[in-house]
Amino acid sequence: MEKLLVSPSPHIHAKTSTSVIMRDVIIALAPAILVSLLFYGWSELLVLGVSVASCVLIEWAITKWMLHRPSTIGDLSAVVTGLLLAMNLPATTPWWIVFIGALVAIGVAKMTFGGLGQNVFNPAITGRVFLLISFPTYMTDWSMPSGFVKSVDAVSGSTPLSALKEALLSGTSIPDFMQANNYTWQTLLTDIGGSVGEISAIALLVGFAYLLVRKVVKIWIPLSIFATVAVISLIFNSIDPAAYTGVLFNLKTGGLILGACFMATDYVTSPMSRTGGIIYGIGIGFIVMMIRYFGSYPEGVSFAILIMNCVVPLLNNWFHQKKYGRN
Amino acid sequence: MTNTVVLTIVILTLVGLVLALILYWVAKKFKVEEDPRIDEVEKVMPGANCGGCGFAGCRNFADAAVKAPNLDSMFCPVGGNEVMKKVAGILGYEVKEKAPQVAVVRCNGSCANRPRTNVYDGVRSCRVKAALYSGDTGCSYGCVGCGDCVEACKFGALSMDPETGLPVVDESKCTACGACVKACPKGVIELRNKGPRSMRVFVSCVNKDKGGVARKACSAACIGCGKCAKVCPHGAITVENNLAYIDFTKCKLCKKCVAECPTGAIHAVNFPVLPPKPAAPAVKPAAPAVKPAAAAKTAAVPAAKSAAPVQAEAKPAENSDKKEAANE
Amino acid sequence: MSKITFRIGGVHPDDNKISRNCAIETLPLPPTVYVSMSQHIGAPAKPVVAAGDKVKVGQVIAEPGGFVSAFIHSPVSGTVKGLVERKDLSGKPVQHVEITVEGDEWAEGIDLSDKLVTEIPADKDVILEKIKAGGVVGLGGATFPTHVKLNPAPGKVADCLIINGAECEPYLTSDYRIMVERPDEIVVGAAIMQKVLGCRCVIGVEENKPEAIEALKASVSRLGYPDIEVLSLKKRYPQGGEKQLIDAVLHRQVRSGCLPIDAGAVVQNVATALAVYEAVQKNKPLITNTLTVTGDCLPVEKQHNYLFRIGTPLSFIIEQAGGVPEGAAKLISGGPMMGKAISNTDATTVKGSSSILYLSEESTKRKPQGNCIRCGKCSDACPMGLEPFLLNRLYKAGDLEGLEKNAAQDCIECGCCLYSCPAYIPLLDNIRQAKAQVMGVIRARAAAAKAAAEAVK
Repeated sequence: MEKLLVSPSPHIHAKTSTSVIMRDVIIALAPAILVSLLFYGWSELLVLGVSVASCVLIEWAITKWMLHRPSTIGDLSAVVTGLLLAMNLPATTPWWIVFIGALVAIGVAKMTFGGLGQNVFNPAITGRVFLLISFPTYMTDWSMPSGFVKSVDAVSGSTPLSALKEALLSGTSIPDFMQANNYTWQTLLTDIGGSVGEISAIALLVGFAYLLVRKVVKIWIPLSIFATVAVISLIFNSIDPAAYTGVLFNLKTGGLILGACFMATDYVTSPMSRTGGIIYGIGIGFIVMMIRYFGSYPEGVSFAILIMNCVVPLLNNWFHQKKYGRN
Repeated sequence: MTNTVVLTIVILTLVGLVLALILYWVAKKFKVEEDPRIDEVEKVMPGANCGGCGFAGCRNFADAAVKAPNLDSMFCPVGGNEVMKKVAGILGYEVKEKAPQVAVVRCNGSCANRPRTNVYDGVRSCRVKAALYSGDTGCSYGCVGCGDCVEACKFGALSMDPETGLPVVDESKCTACGACVKACPKGVIELRNKGPRSMRVFVSCVNKDKGGVARKACSAACIGCGKCAKVCPHGAITVENNLAYIDFTKCKLCKKCVAECPTGAIHAVNFPVLPPKPAAPAVKPAAPAVKPAAAAKTAAVPAAKSAAPVQAEAKPAENSDKKEAANE
Repeated sequence: MSKITFRIGGVHPDDNKISRNCAIETLPLPPTVYVSMSQHIGAPAKPVVAAGDKVKVGQVIAEPGGFVSAFIHSPVSGTVKGLVERKDLSGKPVQHVEITVEGDEWAEGIDLSDKLVTEIPADKDVILEKIKAGGVVGLGGATFPTHVKLNPAPGKVADCLIINGAECEPYLTSDYRIMVERPDEIVVGAAIMQKVLGCRCVIGVEENKPEAIEALKASVSRLGYPDIEVLSLKKRYPQGGEKQLIDAVLHRQVRSGCLPIDAGAVVQNVATALAVYEAVQKNKPLITNTLTVTGDCLPVEKQHNYLFRIGTPLSFIIEQAGGVPEGAAKLISGGPMMGKAISNTDATTVKGSSSILYLSEESTKRKPQGNCIRCGKCSDACPMGLEPFLLNRLYKAGDLEGLEKNAAQDCIECGCCLYSCPAYIPLLDNIRQAKAQVMGVIRARAAAAKAAAEAVK
């Protein structure tokens, strides 16, 4: 170095960067992806592959030809969006639907707002909800393709939540439904039918623990979501166990773990302060339970997160960090 | 079916009507009375909201103008005399004419003239850089080259020349609002009278170091030798703190100083290129701002107007040509 | 493991104390010294010597230029060449006294022996006068004149003197070395200041310096000061920040816009304690200090802790230490978190110089800036509980009111925000500007209020 560098302090930097954080999220998602590959096999791989590839490609194309900016795919955020989108789709989703989902996620929800960090709504969820509304038949086809491991005999054809909704509509009470479908709490823990990312709670929680250890995310948001879901289902379940499902069932089913641990904690679309995060989590938990108990959709995590995304700027405005020497 | 359609239309119409009535009532009830002249004045303003007048925006200026007892202390640099005349007309005031001005960058410390001594690695902001240290060259007075002025300009009149690393003023766009002057932490940019046919002479340096130090840092620096002040027949040049300054109200554009300056720190811009020395134009074509045809046509005019002998103009032709190129 | 630390924010940079085992060496005398007249916060000192004067080591060459100012003494013996304007390490012109070194003759009355003097003068004013006459200033970075700090405004009482041995900046080891090598003097210095303030005293040291803690504890018990406590603190940056240290040790916070004394605390650096000892007990003014020559691109055998004469040009020290090493991209005076980049090695050392730090391009060059991903790591890291991302945005929007509301003026410029930002956004660069602007507004308002109050009278 011939000429000295001069800059304001600090002169060193933590060994972190946006791409390191995104890489950590990818690592954290890996166990759940592996489990789902075992269960769903090649078709799952196709969904994942198409989703990630099209997210990255679309972001690259938009930065290059529409925004004329240097490419931002190096920060790996498009890969994360692709993975999360794929994990929210049934393994049987045709590739072109996955592509449309990626287009909405990256093209509409992310890049139109100015790219990473500027978006109001979580891109992967926006893509998923768009597909859910546009292609309901494909999006609720939970039939089980053959996986690499043939152990699944518990559920096929529908997720526990959607099966339950149908059962309740036809007048079956919950204990009867559980009995009929051979749901035991043990089976629910490892193989829950549904979209790719929903099937293994343990794998998802292991990944989330990794994120906590790496200090990528803080526990407040998922914790307050789980707590709210637990409290609401406890209250309703104790009022009328025949009409309302219990605490554990609600915590383990659907996309709650995936949503709470990986989607609601998305930096960009969640509040920055702890208080804000807790309120945001409570809001999500409340909306999820309202949709599950009273809505016409069997599952509402995606909607709940999207609705609470709108409130984030307000929460950021209202709740600030505790300042030194100002109390 | 038809019933439903009719009902829908009727209900929606009713809802619309009720809301419209409420809106009408609210608008009437909460109307703020304002002097209607404020609106009138605002209409004739340029609407750039640049803040060059010292007010936050055009409406604030209009508001202040209506309330002010006279317009002596107010001037819209963007709209210039024309707008001020209109404003005065609306308000029934008198207004004095002001000479049109333009922003002038008084630094010629290009990469070639002023070698870099270190590499700045902080945020690209002149303010931050100037607060941190004297800059990445030996000169601690000149342009630091991060383009705060470019960012401050609301009219797109400033741009950074990647070759010299210095800002360039587009005279056709500059409105002399002064935003760049305020933005520059080094005080390099100055508003100067535009001059007849945009012809100006100025010292393109703000270095107050002693001659030797200044010269070592930058080959185009003013070394404060005072030759220009001695040669100036109009007393327009003062040398203070090793730095010459040309008072644009006194300068008669004779360009004697330009020839005298040993470092070429005095620039004369937009002067027509004269034919007598055929070698001069060959070095470099005239600066883009001066069209050759126009230059030829107006060639005699400044010579006749200014008291300077024609001879003096011929000499520095080559010199000033280079300056024009550097400055444009 | 110690749990004692401040409660808000903070980061954990690798401490990199590579030169911790390099014993303090005495730097040879340079041929010429340049003594800056602005070595402290406050008004520059007024020189009292002229060209041609002969000076001895420790002789006064400049007097305080105001209430908050300090004496400056000649660090060498020789002939004053004159008053010169030289550039400091950031290239800004400052008045210096240039002295050509001739021999090493000390002024009379300075005790040069190694003998520890433990009898502290009984009169508080005598001590303060000696500290003032010795030109002692805070050596922790701010260089605030010590006699002013030890003499609180009427009505303000300190109940704890905190001696700052945290040295939380990575790389720096000069404080560590003096704590290990000269603990007795530091403890006596602390006792002197304690006597002036009439309160208890805590010496806070981060736990990554166990030898220093041991040495200080041993000398406290050996010398028998019951009121001095040596406290082991958790390793965390910026522990050595005045406000953070008060929070860590006393669990109190200094209110925004107030001084530490308003929270009943006075914080002094260990090096200051040593200087106080020398000034009061040995009559030796502040003309030497310890400085670390270190860096990540410098092999450990080339690293040094030097006892240097204040006014020695940086270039001389660099040369003595073997020149700028291969691969050094940036030279820093001070620590890597808050130190100043050196753009001019012709600059001279001042009272507050604590290091010459060489950093490689890999560790110091800024990476290209990305988009803010709103991760909130900056506000988690901020020890003042500010929201740097928000301040950065408000600064860019020019919203001075918003900046003041969000406490930009409270920023202590510790660098935690920029350090922890994964998108490499130059937060502190901008916030420093924002802070300056807000401080300007606050000062202007105070001045206007004062003028209005006087007008009423």
